[in-house]
Amino acid sequence: MPRHIKIALIVLGVGFAITFGLFVNVIGRIQSMVNDDSDADAFAPPAEELFSPTDPPMAVRVFFPPADGSVVLSSEDRTIFRSPGLGNRAKQILQKVVDGPQSNRLRPSIPPEARLQEVFIDDTGVAYVDFSNALATNHLGGMVNEQATVYSIVNSLIYNLPEIRQVQILVGGGERETLKGHCLLLPLEMDLSITNVKPREDSQPRAD
Amino acid sequence: VRRSAIAILLLAALGGAALFSTRALWAADTDFAIHFEGSVLPLKSKSVNRVIYLPLVEIAQHLSQPYTDDFRLETFTIGAQNARLVTTRNSALISVNGQVVLLQNPVRRDDSQWFVPVDFLSQGMSRITGIEFRYRAGASRVFAGNVSPTELSLSAQAVSGATRLTLRAGSPVQVEIQRDATQRTVILLRGRPIDPLRERLDYKDRLVESVAFDDSDGIPKVLVATTPEAKEVRITAGDESRVYFVDFTREVAATEAAPPPPPPDIGAGAGAGARRIRLAVIDAGHGGDDAGVSDSGTLEKEWTLAVARKLRSALQNRLGATVLLTRDADEALTSEARAGLANRNQADLFISLHAGYSANENDAVSSIYVIQDGFGSALNPDVEPRDRLFLPWYLAHRNSRPHSEQLATLLQDQMGKSLPEWKFAIRTGPIAVLASTMMPAIAIEFGNLNNPANAQSLTDEAFQTQLAAAIAAAAERFAMEQGTIR
Repeated sequence: MPRHIKIALIVLGVGFAITFGLFVNVIGRIQSMVNDDSDADAFAPPAEELFSPTDPPMAVRVFFPPADGSVVLSSEDRTIFRSPGLGNRAKQILQKVVDGPQSNRLRPSIPPEARLQEVFIDDTGVAYVDFSNALATNHLGGMVNEQATVYSIVNSLIYNLPEIRQVQILVGGGERETLKGHCLLLPLEMDLSITNVKPREDSQPRAD
Repeated sequence: VRRSAIAILLLAALGGAALFSTRALWAADTDFAIHFEGSVLPLKSKSVNRVIYLPLVEIAQHLSQPYTDDFRLETFTIGAQNARLVTTRNSALISVNGQVVLLQNPVRRDDSQWFVPVDFLSQGMSRITGIEFRYRAGASRVFAGNVSPTELSLSAQAVSGATRLTLRAGSPVQVEIQRDATQRTVILLRGRPIDPLRERLDYKDRLVESVAFDDSDGIPKVLVATTPEAKEVRITAGDESRVYFVDFTREVAATEAAPPPPPPDIGAGAGAGARRIRLAVIDAGHGGDDAGVSDSGTLEKEWTLAVARKLRSALQNRLGATVLLTRDADEALTSEARAGLANRNQADLFISLHAGYSANENDAVSSIYVIQDGFGSALNPDVEPRDRLFLPWYLAHRNSRPHSEQLATLLQDQMGKSLPEWKFAIRTGPIAVLASTMMPAIAIEFGNLNNPANAQSLTDEAFQTQLAAAIAAAAERFAMEQGTIR
């Protein structure tokens, strides 16, 4: 075989190898983009347990809309573990909200598909509560319904954890103007005027 | 030789460009008028770098003030010994009776003519003549002394095949219509001097090309350029000659069919109260991708639009108000766009319409929503909102909230009378459209689409008309009962 043909074949072979490699790489990237299931690791167990069985119990009041529609929100008493971290207690309370009421006088306030993703509490007492997208997309809508969803989260947190001053709900990791077109999702304060619950009588530790 | 010639040419071009770009931006002369008691002084104003300049000599002559134009010192002096005003070329500092006053823009002398910015009148002239000058930024007229002009607001909207131009004046005016062959309609306004809130209307449709106010010849008038499609003009007066509806219609024969809704005859019945709601905005909830709640074939977005259209004609007839819809089609809008429409048009009333849904099908309570008391005030705890010039969008409701509450109470009462079998609860919440609207604003959520009886009523056309009539009646009571909005 003449020498120049050999060289040409080698060059062609190397070129083909590089092209093939690039092709495989691109296909792999596309596949990983398509299969990128962001929900996958959301099911992973939390890195640390929210509570330990030795933590003392803590009675909390969780807000849900009543079945008869008399007020926007009513409440029921539940028990969580008084774990050391404020964030852990907040997560436990929100898990009760997500799980729904035990009494049949009350209705769930959160779409069943929605999951609690993360809770952050900053040093000014604002809790940022991140839910999965289903909180908005699977919501049935309606002003009273939407207000019930928003304030079952806000009131349940602030009523039981007075260290929290305001609650901002995030959806899918980001801020959203409204949940479903009605209620602004700015940092909100507790509103007991839409409930049949009286304000707590015990003294509340407040920053101000 | 050629190279140096090219270099010289390039340099000359650069120099020319530099000269051109540094020259002041002169705009063409525009008509300007100063309305004195018993006389009008028409002027040709110049606009330099977007600042309006008035010729000084004409003003001094009209006010019979002695003046000296010192060419050498480049100063212009007006007045006599004890009331003297001295201006210097290209200086924003003027001297009034020995006191130095700073204007916002310098006085100019171009082509040996003196030009002063408009604030020269109130800052300088009024101190030596004792005449007060009033100027609205952007206008092309100044009112002096005791001249009390009539405010005029213009609005236009398309009403079933016609275009309705609404003229609202603060006091009674006489109106005369002239049409000429060049597709132009002149609406002459007689009476007191007119102070239009806007010089021209940003409106154009199949019948009307442009609407502009003009008083350059001393006679206030509204000029309407129409398209050849506009065949007939009809004018209806209302509210003791304070309101005029000018309808441009497509065909002459259409008068019998009466495409525009009956002219709102605001007579003894409505009276003074109705005048307080000049413009109402109705917000049909949801739209576009956002269907709202839905059940058994009824989509909330379609239902709200149908009721909004019925409420529009009910409010037009009952209050004689101009009524705007946030959307008149199936389109998606943000809450800010909805509130923004009402704020920009300085609406006096905002009603957002929604349909309810409850998982419990026996549930049938409707809600009237008012913005939560004190909403948003804790978001900026370090700054007292009262002291701030610019407010966050969500605090716009603060001043009108008591009126919104009053409106909600009246509506609840009216609903109890008009639709006794329906229950309306007044609720408060952080509702987005209500947070950022500056006028009395409520949102109504009707019934429960999951309740079969409710859904049947709500989709019934006759019932929708009844609903609209009840809301309009409440709006009228609100207009009568409330003190002052503005």
